[in-house]
Amino acid sequence: MASLMMLPSGCCNAALSRVYLSAAAFRPAPSALGFGSQIATSAVHLSRRGAPPPPRVMEVETSLAPPDTVLSTGFDFKGYMLEKAAAINCALDAAAPLAHPERIHEAMRYSLLAGGKRVRPVLCLAACEVVGGGSAWAMPAAVSVEMIHTMSLIHDDLPCMDDDDLRRGRPSCHRAFDEATAVLAGDALLALAFGHLANPASYPADGSVPPDRIVRAVGELSRCVGAEGLVAGQVADLEATGVGTPVTLDHLEFIHLHKTAALLEASVVLGAILGGASDDQIDKLRKYAKSIGLLFQVVDDILDVTKSSEELGKTAGKDLASDKTTYPKLLGLEKSKEFADRLLKDSREQLAGFDPIKTAPLLQLANYIAYRDK
Amino acid sequence: MAFSASLFYPSPNLSSTKMPPSPLLFRRPSSVSLPVRCSSAAASSSFDLRTYWTTLISQIEEALDAAVPVRYPESIHKAIRHVVLSPGAKRAPPIMCIASCELVGGLRSAAFPAACALEMVHAASLVHDDLPCMDASPLRRGHPSAHALFGVDMAILAGDALFPLAYQHIVTHTPSPDPVPLSIIPLVLTEIARAVGSTGMAAGQFLDLSGAAAGSEKEILQVLEKKFGEMAECSAVCGGLLGGASDQELEALRRYGRAVGVLYQLVDDVLMESNGGTGKMRSNASIVKAVGMDRSLELVEEVRAKAKKELDKFKDKYGEKVLPLYSFVDYAIERGFVVEGRGLEASSAAGASVGSSETFSKGD
Repeated sequence: MASLMMLPSGCCNAALSRVYLSAAAFRPAPSALGFGSQIATSAVHLSRRGAPPPPRVMEVETSLAPPDTVLSTGFDFKGYMLEKAAAINCALDAAAPLAHPERIHEAMRYSLLAGGKRVRPVLCLAACEVVGGGSAWAMPAAVSVEMIHTMSLIHDDLPCMDDDDLRRGRPSCHRAFDEATAVLAGDALLALAFGHLANPASYPADGSVPPDRIVRAVGELSRCVGAEGLVAGQVADLEATGVGTPVTLDHLEFIHLHKTAALLEASVVLGAILGGASDDQIDKLRKYAKSIGLLFQVVDDILDVTKSSEELGKTAGKDLASDKTTYPKLLGLEKSKEFADRLLKDSREQLAGFDPIKTAPLLQLANYIAYRDK
Repeated sequence: MAFSASLFYPSPNLSSTKMPPSPLLFRRPSSVSLPVRCSSAAASSSFDLRTYWTTLISQIEEALDAAVPVRYPESIHKAIRHVVLSPGAKRAPPIMCIASCELVGGLRSAAFPAACALEMVHAASLVHDDLPCMDASPLRRGHPSAHALFGVDMAILAGDALFPLAYQHIVTHTPSPDPVPLSIIPLVLTEIARAVGSTGMAAGQFLDLSGAAAGSEKEILQVLEKKFGEMAECSAVCGGLLGGASDQELEALRRYGRAVGVLYQLVDDVLMESNGGTGKMRSNASIVKAVGMDRSLELVEEVRAKAKKELDKFKDKYGEKVLPLYSFVDYAIERGFVVEGRGLEASSAAGASVGSSETFSKGD
């Protein structure tokens, strides 16, 4: 544990991946108290006033560097991610233009175009391609899942929820603007997401995406983000946060399957639906998505206790500070990492029946989620 | 925005429609039940608005009740039920949707799921408008608002959940491909998303909060159009789409709906002012304060004439089917009776809404 935390930031990535792969490196779970000093030194305090004006330029993340161990397939994952992220950023920029009233659109764009790896939209495009669809078919869905993701972050950061000052290394939306604007910008992104997904004008004019697929995609997205999906996860999470509330493993899994996995599931399943997948293919890709969704959160929990705020671009150690139940707390760090390994294997098995060349992006995305360092 | 038509700007011949306001226009609403006076078509009409509305309201509330069951995690579902089944709601968006569908010859069942969905998005925007960081309303229709009962976090999440639930409800329940062609459903979904989005109701609330209240007539009318006109416009257009309206009919319904939504708020402003300015305004932007009572009354007449003119286009073809939509215009002005749903608590609803006239609006 101590060795992990003291690694120079430059080599954390490779070091962490070695830890994952080597059972000998696993350590017993630390007590909550053990992290106290880490939280204190890494907490980032922003001045309540004078938040910087929102940048109007788009930032493209270029720091993707999966560990060498997963780059042995000859598939240029980094190139793939950068190419897709650039296309997605263009589509996001076009889908949320600056309009009257400008300030609410600035707030939407501030959060939407703040960079990030665009994991959800890339998953969506990759799932469309794996079932033989053209990537333009799924771009409206890719855009919409990123909008929903952004909206959930904006509302999550509000003072009445997680009360986060920092998001992706910058002031969160309600800090850069104000609370009312942040609530409305989130609502507007939610509406825009569904509007963009549902609008026939978002799709290629040649009719390659028929209305039944669009309607099915909207139904899928709404189920995944509503009170049976994302929101259920957030509520279960809110209720689990608090002193003296015992949280079981089942409860924790419910939270993550809904709060995190549901939107990843939507991303993959929407891509598959719009790409013209069969029901059987959709089932397999849904299972793949659930596995990597849970994996995403297990890794997030591990990163929260092993990384600093500067490395993560958001407040680290928050889970412990708020006495939140996490996988490391419930299972120990070692078992959490074993669990992550198993989820990664599960996700790979679901892709076995697809064209091996076309599955490369989805396999590498799962690896990326497992081995990311922020 | 491609579809939206501004009521006021640009508008070539509105200034020619000055009519003296009727002395009967601005009666205070009363809880006494009166037969509605459909002034444009009263002679041929046995149409009873009150029966039409109350019958529909109970059907709508039954469907809404079934659409929001309590399940795990219970807290959010209880908050959602509170918001959706709120006592005293008039359910105007769904009624206008159904009336528009029936006007153009559509089946009630075709529009019914979308009508319920409109009430869900309407309720979702109200619950966010009431938040402490927005209008800070502890009460809605005489009952505690969602954040007062369930906490601000639950109120935000209840709103966030209701928007998707509305889309899901349409996709799952709209009878398709018969009688509603599959290609119509994406158009309905797009219409709703546009109405509640960053250039629609969210924009209206933003402009209202950011001080357009102190603005010019043009600025205030823009707030009213976005905050109140969009929902009614969307309701009428969705009904038209689901009933199989032609493009030309859809555009007429669009202009009609927008006019009726604004009309309600204009009349509310006038009533509020003639009542000595007491009571909570639904918008910070008061037209009477900005342009005075005389000009406000003129605007009421202009918008009323505009709404009726759009409907006249339907009268020749559809005859008496146009009456429910006429009645919205008359009701906006006359408020001759109190229409409301029973909501969760039937007994407490009646007293709560006397004097309140929220319909397409984000009201108290």
